[in-house]
Amino acid sequence: MIVEILDIVIAGLLLGGLYALIAMGLSLQYGVARVLNISHGEFIMLGALGAWFLFGFGVNPLVSLAICGPVTFIIGFLLYRTVFTRLRTSSASIGAYEGSSMLASFGLLFIIQSIALIAWGSGIKGYTYLAFPVNVGGALFAANRLVALAFAVFLGLVFYFFLVRTRLGKAIRAAAQDPATAGLMGVNINQVLALCFGLGAMMAGFAGLLISICYPVNTTMGLEYTIITIIVVVLGGLGSIPGSFIGGFILGLIGSIVTYLEPGLSLAAYYVLFMLLLLVRPTGILGK
Amino acid sequence: MKKKVFLPLLMAIFVLMFLFSATVTTAPAKDKIVVGMSRPLSGPMAKIGDSAFRPVYETFVAEVNAQGGIFVKEFNKKLPIELKVYDDKSDTGTMTRLTEKLILEDKVDFLWPACGTHNIFAQAPIANKYSYILLTAEGGATSITPMLQSLPYLFISLSFSDWYQIPVWADLLAEKGAKTAYIISMADLFGIEYAGVSSIELPKRGINIVGIKSVPPDIKDLSTILKEAQKTKADALMVLAYPDAVILATKQSMEIGYNPKAFLGGPGVNFGFYHAIFGPATEGVSGFSMANRKTSPAMKELFDKLYKNKPEAANDWWGHPLYWAGYEFWKQAIEKAGTLDQKKIKDVMVAETFNTVLGPTSFKGGLMAKESHTGEIGQWQKGLFETVGGGKWPNTKVTAPFVYPKPKWPVPAPAKK
Repeated sequence: MIVEILDIVIAGLLLGGLYALIAMGLSLQYGVARVLNISHGEFIMLGALGAWFLFGFGVNPLVSLAICGPVTFIIGFLLYRTVFTRLRTSSASIGAYEGSSMLASFGLLFIIQSIALIAWGSGIKGYTYLAFPVNVGGALFAANRLVALAFAVFLGLVFYFFLVRTRLGKAIRAAAQDPATAGLMGVNINQVLALCFGLGAMMAGFAGLLISICYPVNTTMGLEYTIITIIVVVLGGLGSIPGSFIGGFILGLIGSIVTYLEPGLSLAAYYVLFMLLLLVRPTGILGK
Repeated sequence: MKKKVFLPLLMAIFVLMFLFSATVTTAPAKDKIVVGMSRPLSGPMAKIGDSAFRPVYETFVAEVNAQGGIFVKEFNKKLPIELKVYDDKSDTGTMTRLTEKLILEDKVDFLWPACGTHNIFAQAPIANKYSYILLTAEGGATSITPMLQSLPYLFISLSFSDWYQIPVWADLLAEKGAKTAYIISMADLFGIEYAGVSSIELPKRGINIVGIKSVPPDIKDLSTILKEAQKTKADALMVLAYPDAVILATKQSMEIGYNPKAFLGGPGVNFGFYHAIFGPATEGVSGFSMANRKTSPAMKELFDKLYKNKPEAANDWWGHPLYWAGYEFWKQAIEKAGTLDQKKIKDVMVAETFNTVLGPTSFKGGLMAKESHTGEIGQWQKGLFETVGGGKWPNTKVTAPFVYPKPKWPVPAPAKK
């Protein structure tokens, strides 16, 4: 019985770690840069396909973190500077900007996915890496999933401490609270918001890479992760980075428990949770 | 004078008007056959459509057109095929709208199929309503079989659960002394059909189903279910789901060291990308199959043609030969009917037997006759997807014996792309 419970809990944490990482990225993009980025899943796809592509050249997926992360960061940063900065400065209000930026991100979804389809096709891709069991308290788990969880937690914590302990992190938090005042205090808002969007994209890239270690991947995988991410971000509290981190693990655990009891209901459980949250606590766990 | 000119002029106008109207109402000379399709060029079904029917129809059309087209006696010439393909974005609602657009607005000469079991269900009544032949590609038809009498324009090319894969799989297991099986099936029409047929065919042969779990198509973690299967010590694990879940089940079985004596996964195992992902670890894994290069010289020629200069991931040892045979059959039916009239061609398709890459091929009651099949079950052996089981008919060509129990997963699994 204890082994069974351990099985369910650790399986949930393994999945939750990936959800947490993805959701932190979107939370940053929405919480600070005010972009509800529907194309977030496409950056996950880029990270995953990038790792798969590099693996073909013999590059260890963990080494690929150092390539895929910066590449997705640069793409995100440039997109914000070119597309979203223009939308922000030309919008009459923050509400109008949120609406137009969300529509723009819809467009980005199709553009990025189509480019990937042209480059890599739509076929299923994957590779095997650290695909052997590890005994944890009598329960067996895949080595690659444990590595993915360790990296997800590590990256999440590094990111969190970057936000709370560094000067740049303080500027980001200031921009999240009140961009206009932060600008008056000498924070280069355009630069900081682009940085946030780029960092969000980088987190998605990292998560995509870790997903590719555990799951088959393809160029149309992005949207399903975007949907899960939105649920996690709402669960954690819109814009709350720690909330997203915790929300990811909670959703992973719920998914694992429901899968054990009745696998057919696992996705339905996510949506039921989403509905309940919107009814009972629309601000999420740590939202204000 | 004016009167003298007026009357001939009036007559000339009438004659010209008659000639003009005759010209516009006469059908223009036919110079091509327009084929319309609603296909999942994007969205979650794209990965299946692009690996399954797409390479076949692209190669088939190119080959037919290189020969000048299909000879149609009615026009006394060969007509090349022109494809009109719309992206249904993997959405059934969009697919049905596009199908009606192809028929009503584009007025295509022929309708080729959408992708997936559920889409056959949705598209067949539309095609039938407008009397368009629908020769399907990807998708099984267990549930639609009882309706085939009321869908005379529907022709199913692919083999499926009780036509005749699961009975053959059950025979293979029973011959080797397997007593128990655990089933993971996808929660959609495909999974329902296969799990339902398995629940009938396996117990008939003394194989007890010790567990059955239905999972959503986009499930992200199968480890708890696989561990449950492992505890039952079932001889066979059957993963009756689409490729994502089949690959996930394979990965996670390796990762938790779960080694059933027989592992059947499908669709997914039959594709080259499965071997490209797992390499030698695929040894002994079974899936649905029709043929390989050893089946016949004609089959070798087909696979060489389809897979020339293409990566291994493009291979499909189950659907490709059947889709090709189906459309070879269709071409011959048009030539035999000598017209593009759907009803006349349909009547030929119902009545005739033509030689295709499978050998003598015919449709019985809307299904490609199981006697036309060259195999049903395949198994990866030394990098080849061998046909290890088929029906007891003349076309059947088993290329290697069924290996049972399958070798254990390599530990640790080799890194392989």
